[in-house]
Amino acid sequence: MWNRRKNLLLSSLSLLRHISSSPHLPRLHPLKPSHLLCPSNSFLPPIDSQLRNNLLDLPRCGFPRNLSSSNSCSSCWNCGAVGPTSGAFLACGSCGAVQPVDASVDYFQIFGMKKMYEIEEGDLEGIYKDWQKKLHPDLVHSKSEKEKGFAAEQSARVIDAYRTLKNPLSRALYLLKLEQIHVDEEKTVSDPDLLMEMLEMREAVEEAKDTQSLKEIQSKVKKKLDSWSNSFKEAFNKQDFDSAVNCTQRMKYYERALEEITKKL
Amino acid sequence: MLRLALKRSLRLGPAVSHTPSAAMVVSRGYHERVVDHYNNPRNVGSFDKEDPNVGTGLVGAPACGDVMKLQIKVDEDSGKIVDACFKTFGCGSAIASSSVATEWVKGKQMEEVLTIKNTEIAKHLSLPPVKLHCSMLAEDAIKAAVKDYELKKAKAAPEQE
Repeated sequence: MWNRRKNLLLSSLSLLRHISSSPHLPRLHPLKPSHLLCPSNSFLPPIDSQLRNNLLDLPRCGFPRNLSSSNSCSSCWNCGAVGPTSGAFLACGSCGAVQPVDASVDYFQIFGMKKMYEIEEGDLEGIYKDWQKKLHPDLVHSKSEKEKGFAAEQSARVIDAYRTLKNPLSRALYLLKLEQIHVDEEKTVSDPDLLMEMLEMREAVEEAKDTQSLKEIQSKVKKKLDSWSNSFKEAFNKQDFDSAVNCTQRMKYYERALEEITKKL
Repeated sequence: MLRLALKRSLRLGPAVSHTPSAAMVVSRGYHERVVDHYNNPRNVGSFDKEDPNVGTGLVGAPACGDVMKLQIKVDEDSGKIVDACFKTFGCGSAIASSSVATEWVKGKQMEEVLTIKNTEIAKHLSLPPVKLHCSMLAEDAIKAAVKDYELKKAKAAPEQE
């Protein structure tokens, strides 16, 4: 603990010397470690979050660093230790106390992943289980009511995050939501080609007589889903949100068909 | 066979519920009229799309992946809808809405059916707010079917226009 603080002090002091030579900032005095740990306590000049991230390079609980700069400095309600400057602060690294839900932390941050469509789906489960080992309500049955409440909410949020990110369509829709793209769910679609294709597909599923033909249809639909999933990725990366939304609509239809097939199988 | 198909597409089996969501839905309760339309389907089927007296309305709700096809058979002399049928892939509310729509358009004039509002369908079936869009889909399907018929008529006899 003290070694960490010492290293922190040394690296930050050298950086502060750099800052203090800048004409825009007031001259600084040598700081005590406790002040450094809570930069919101006024001794540090206002610095932008990028610089703060460099300044306070606190070790995190082994989760990968992500690119977001929200969550600038939360501290644990239980022991006062400062949370990570980037990445989700769901449980305290020092005392293990579960923290209250911070709705500004998005699902990608919870999983320490970049906010984009292509993610390592295989990694999701491991990270999910790691979080649940810290957050699950069963682990806090002897703690305070307050912490039990936090655990229930955080755990539920992590489950939501896991489910949303795991399924490509829900991940796509979540990404659109984060970009503030609102899809009018009530709007009826009347593109005849699209609807005809879907109608015929669903009819084929219903009329399929055996497992073999169902599996054939299933693999065809999966291929289409994958191809539209790629189209979404391209459209989204190009910020062509209209096409992206169109892709998600098609993906929804294919997913419905797959659900029906699974039920029949 | 069609009943089985309907059951499957409805995801609601009174005797057998395959998924937890179906069981939850039953306990929350579809209105008895919705269940009635599901158990006693009226007007399920297809007309020949190429028939000049048939108008086909094909609509979809992308949010839930529903597809609804509503067809009308029109008597060209009187402009009255003499028959209607539907085929819907979606939830119980969507199926019931389209079923009700086919019942209501039969025997009416085309201009008249254009005044059928989704709110009337929703009220008739006591649809919860979350299912209101299903009735909207049915209203859109009626309008699409009428539009299709009129387009066909216009194409078939342009000199008379």
